[in-house]
Amino acid sequence: MSEGKELRSILATDCGSTTTKAILIEKQGDSYRLVVRGEAPTTVEAPFEDVTKGVLNAIMEVEELAGRKLLDGDKIIVPQNGTEGVDAYLSTSSAGGGLQMMVTGVVKSMTGESAERAALGAGAIVMDIVASNDRRLPHEKIRRIRDLRPDMILLSGGIDGGTKTHVVELAEIIAAADPRPRLGSSYDLPVIYAGNQDAIPEIEERLGGKTSLEVTENIRPVMERENLMPARHKIHDLFMEHVMAQAPGYKKLMSWTGYQTNSGWTSAPIMPTPAAVGNIIQTIAKQEGIQVVGVDIGGATTDVFSVFQDVFNRTVSANLGMSYSVSNVLAEAGLPNVMRWVPFDMDESELRNRIKNKMIRPTTIPQSLEELIIEQAISREALRLAFEQHKALAVGLKGVQQERTISDTFEQSSSGETLIDLLGLDLLVGSGGVLSHAPRRIQSVLMMLDAFLPEGVTQLAVDSIFMMPQLGVLAEVNERAATDVFVADCLIRLGTAVAPIGKGKEGQTALKATIQLPSGAQHVEVPFGSMVRLPLAVGETANATFEPQGKLDLGSGPGKSLQTELVGGVGGIFLDCRGRRPFEIPTDPASRIRKLTEWSDALEVYPKEHATASA
Amino acid sequence: MAHAYTPGLRVTTRTRIVKERRLPLKGEVVVKAGEVMRAEDVVARTELPGNVQPVKAASMLGIHQEDLEEYMLKKVGDHVAKDEVIATAKSFFGLFKSHVKAPVDGTVESISTVTGQLIIREAPIPVEVHAYFDGTVTEIIPEEGVVMEAVGAFLQGIFGVGGETSGELALAVQKPDEELTPDKLNESHAGKIVIGGSRIQLPAIDRAKQLGVRAVVVGGIDDADLKQLLGYDLGVAITGHETLGLSLVVTEGFGRMTMASRTFDLLGGHVGRRASVNGATQIRAGVMRPEVIIPTETHLTDVREEEGEVQGLTIGSPIRAIRTPYFGRLGEVTALPPELQKLESEATVRVLEVRFPDGSTAVLPRANVEMIET
Amino acid sequence: MIKNRTPLPASPSSAKRLALSACSGLVLFLGLAALLATSAAAAVPGLVVRDNPDDRGEAILVEWDGEAAGDSVRVERAESEAGPWVMRRALPGSAARFVDQGEGGPERGKTYFYRVNGQVLSATPTAQWWNKGRTNLFLILALYLGLIMVFLNIARKGGSLFIRKIAGLDAMEEAIGRATEMGKPVLYVPGIDDANNIQTIYSMAILNSVAKMVAQYDTELIVPLAKAFVLPLAEETVRSGYMDVGRPDSFRADNIRFLSDEQFAFTAAVNGIMLREKPAANLFLGSFFAESLVLAETGFTTGAIQIAGTANIHQLPFFVVACDYTMIGEEFFATSAYLSREPMLVGTLKGGDMMKLVIMVFLVVAAIAATMGHSEAFRSLLVIR
Repeated sequence: MSEGKELRSILATDCGSTTTKAILIEKQGDSYRLVVRGEAPTTVEAPFEDVTKGVLNAIMEVEELAGRKLLDGDKIIVPQNGTEGVDAYLSTSSAGGGLQMMVTGVVKSMTGESAERAALGAGAIVMDIVASNDRRLPHEKIRRIRDLRPDMILLSGGIDGGTKTHVVELAEIIAAADPRPRLGSSYDLPVIYAGNQDAIPEIEERLGGKTSLEVTENIRPVMERENLMPARHKIHDLFMEHVMAQAPGYKKLMSWTGYQTNSGWTSAPIMPTPAAVGNIIQTIAKQEGIQVVGVDIGGATTDVFSVFQDVFNRTVSANLGMSYSVSNVLAEAGLPNVMRWVPFDMDESELRNRIKNKMIRPTTIPQSLEELIIEQAISREALRLAFEQHKALAVGLKGVQQERTISDTFEQSSSGETLIDLLGLDLLVGSGGVLSHAPRRIQSVLMMLDAFLPEGVTQLAVDSIFMMPQLGVLAEVNERAATDVFVADCLIRLGTAVAPIGKGKEGQTALKATIQLPSGAQHVEVPFGSMVRLPLAVGETANATFEPQGKLDLGSGPGKSLQTELVGGVGGIFLDCRGRRPFEIPTDPASRIRKLTEWSDALEVYPKEHATASA
Repeated sequence: MAHAYTPGLRVTTRTRIVKERRLPLKGEVVVKAGEVMRAEDVVARTELPGNVQPVKAASMLGIHQEDLEEYMLKKVGDHVAKDEVIATAKSFFGLFKSHVKAPVDGTVESISTVTGQLIIREAPIPVEVHAYFDGTVTEIIPEEGVVMEAVGAFLQGIFGVGGETSGELALAVQKPDEELTPDKLNESHAGKIVIGGSRIQLPAIDRAKQLGVRAVVVGGIDDADLKQLLGYDLGVAITGHETLGLSLVVTEGFGRMTMASRTFDLLGGHVGRRASVNGATQIRAGVMRPEVIIPTETHLTDVREEEGEVQGLTIGSPIRAIRTPYFGRLGEVTALPPELQKLESEATVRVLEVRFPDGSTAVLPRANVEMIET
Repeated sequence: MIKNRTPLPASPSSAKRLALSACSGLVLFLGLAALLATSAAAAVPGLVVRDNPDDRGEAILVEWDGEAAGDSVRVERAESEAGPWVMRRALPGSAARFVDQGEGGPERGKTYFYRVNGQVLSATPTAQWWNKGRTNLFLILALYLGLIMVFLNIARKGGSLFIRKIAGLDAMEEAIGRATEMGKPVLYVPGIDDANNIQTIYSMAILNSVAKMVAQYDTELIVPLAKAFVLPLAEETVRSGYMDVGRPDSFRADNIRFLSDEQFAFTAAVNGIMLREKPAANLFLGSFFAESLVLAETGFTTGAIQIAGTANIHQLPFFVVACDYTMIGEEFFATSAYLSREPMLVGTLKGGDMMKLVIMVFLVVAAIAATMGHSEAFRSLLVIR
């Protein structure tokens, strides 16, 4: 995180599995701003098999658009020399299916879970958790490891001074499995040991020769505390050295990345894309002192990031996505759950065929409005399910001593409660095609409101052009540049949602609001079960007083009023009085369609003439 | 977004087919390099130890653990069949009887009078790897498997279910747009790979299963039927491990889909020849599509790969729409406007104009068409 | 079985009639004189003498119309019609009934004659198989047993019976997990009562499940005991738990320790184990007394996760404040069913629960009915004679 020498310009790329995206950032006056972006198809697989070709194509597009020379033949010009070249070139990568890991722990819900969090936070997909208590017999574990062929194994277990036998046993299982890496069999499988430090000699003895073993600090030095960063850094290092180095063209790409410091050119690592996204979200949460949830919904997977009470968590829902996994969203959520978001009736068999065809032909896009509505309905369920999974993993530590008083007699809560507190959430950031490229921004707003059900006052934003990965890797080098661009160019502020918790009577006033809009003070009364949208442009703020009626609660207590400042956006302010805990949609089709249409009209989500006509 | 199209499926008339055939764990390779195999021949085999099933016999009978042996009808080492009564207890002068039935086929491994449990071990599971297609063993991977090779026609479907199988190719329809209905299947199709037309529905699949058809290659299937067939809603397109009684290869997609004429003609041209089918599909990075292999020469000769020219869309290119509302329709590109256009869904994308055979025209996003090779 | 006789005299033999009639004038006179002397001994209306129903045949019931009877009713008894009469009781006429039983009461199968204010009737006490007065009790018992049988059967056939989640139970796995990660033993104290105490017996059922879990996690289990009789029981329980999960080799008999049957000597010894071996999980499940707080406090200071459960209500507050999780009263018994999934325990638990539900519903309905003035109907359902 060295600030280093003042960087004048930065070029960053993200090599995704289908597209490589490049952005150019320049220092303008006191702050950093995005200048242009370009993209090109990724070239990891046949026939090109060299990732740098796609990178160069993307940079060439940037060159053209910026009207500035960045390349000298097949080389990026560094450092900046007059108007030519840049002071830093950085990259992230998720090509080739990203980083696939297997983790181990002694007890699945303790060190196993810590290991999972360490790996997920480092941007990996966790294929399996092997634990001493997972009820599989040793030979089953061995077979599983052989079948999975992970890119890397994180071996953990035991606190410092804790159990040795269990973690050594795990090492023996790995040694017996003698796993070969997924990409290329010419190198030894990287194994990171982050368990009981007392067991290091035994671990080295068993795995030293067979794998490329790296030892780092324990991820759970005591039961009460996790120490995930050293393991995450090790994962990044090994990802570079071993996994990336095997992918076609990455060696060359690695030699390019770096930045200018006082002492000259310093090389910088290529980060796994999700790790970079997690990085920028953490940076923002830290700098602004807010609680953030970020989501990136892709074709095959959906990543959810959160920072609550300064604890960062990331989960990846490997089978929830909008193309490859679209059919699984339907299978997991169930048809009725998807249909509850669709404001017209539809034949089930027809819908099924459409979804399956999207699965086998993942790159198609919705042409008709009806298709768009269906796709956005599915995305709500994908987001909702991914968030559920996130809540289940973003929990407090298990296996920690509790303190009780006599008043707890009849309410003994378990340990490991979720950290996600929707009422305390300040900013919700969406990313991924279906959110970033929704034809109308307000559609993203409603999708996020429906899927996440934020409570109280929450700001909403989307990542305009998938810039978060590049900014995440930039944050490692120059935090200020990353946050400048993140705030100014990356995020599209959608506005602020205000949603009281509780249930009211349909049609009765649920929320009275007085909002000092730039155009003058406005008084609004919102009946329960409806939504109201007020304009408040990007960059504007408005003071507001809210009086929730009855038992409804905006965070200051049932029926208590709340004064706050609202931040504007392209959508404005959304007063969402549809109820929370529970949030309910009518189940009978006629009232469902009426209600959905009412909400859609209130927010102008879909063009009116079509929304009803296509039924 | 500009250059997104589905990677073409391979449909080749003559190519070299090379497949690795491996055991899931170490075992014995039973063939030698150079041997000519038929598809169903075993090339390697091994055995997995049987699973054990504990049975809480004493508590099921409501007796004390130490008395368990008195009530046993079987001894340690005895073979038991599934649902066979292995222990019985009477109470109230025979008024109430309780039984313990074997949950699986196997042998009684132990009777514990301490825990009151029986352990039943299932028979070892033999694992065999077949040659999969008619061809020649070109390489031995010691203790693990072999490499098989052949020369022949090879084509991929877009989606499939069911595992590997082989049989003679048979044609059940006359035209690629004809549906494969139950009445088109008869006894002569038993043990064969049946080529259908535009769609197969559940009654026809059931009929095919009854007749003993090994595999069906067809243009389309309804997802509702697929769910019925599998017994669950398929989430992620990773298939191949189903045991359905037959394998199914879908060449075009879900719904009623006319089979591409090139595919239909290639399959039709080999009627009567032995072919191998694998329904296994994996639509992910490292994509795997279902395949039909029709070996024409088991003796290996040099094959010059036909190089499919990679050509972009041009005016006049025949295309197929692959998304509603024009899903499945074939047409011809009439214009390729370079500027972005707004669709009904309000998305702004690159489009093309297409004319359908009935003379009507439409504007489609470029992402929603696939080129058809002629 | 009820013998009613019409009022006497029964016909005397015709041979004696003359002699008797000669005396009859005198007898009648004397009789009248006697009547006059007692003055109040008027005839009792509606008199019935019969076997007392629903008993073992050692009582006779004398009933009369209480409202119409006079002030005093004298009940006398004789074994023959001629006497001698034994005075049984004198009652006010309003009593309306008298049960002749208890000391000097009638014997089963013998015929007795009763003279009530001069009126003589006879009856024979007999035993009945069925006490109709307790049919309600029978029905309640039958319902209870029936429910248990039904749930037992469901459980035996492998039907799924829902048992509410008890936080302390899930915590048990967590506590053992913690011990495993820390490489420290698990301490299980099954109370200080003897093997015949129901809590100790239930504690053994839980111990079996704990032993299974511990064996699966492959960690160490220490069981200190205060009663020598519990030792073989505990040893066998733990051993079978280890065997169930196929790890008999990990079982160590040395860890099942009889310490002392002196309450505080035992407590001191357990404290010693806690301080020396630093178990990471302490489970106190069974019958505890004054030592509960001493044990739980010491355990807390060693940093262990502690789970307690006892039906000794007086000890619960101490456990609640010093332990991570406490199972309260009935929860403790439910725990063993939950953990072991033994059909017998689960079935009994569910049957018992269902019976409680029936009683609760009855109470609510009866309370409502009583409020509305219909209490008699419900009360009579519950009266046991």
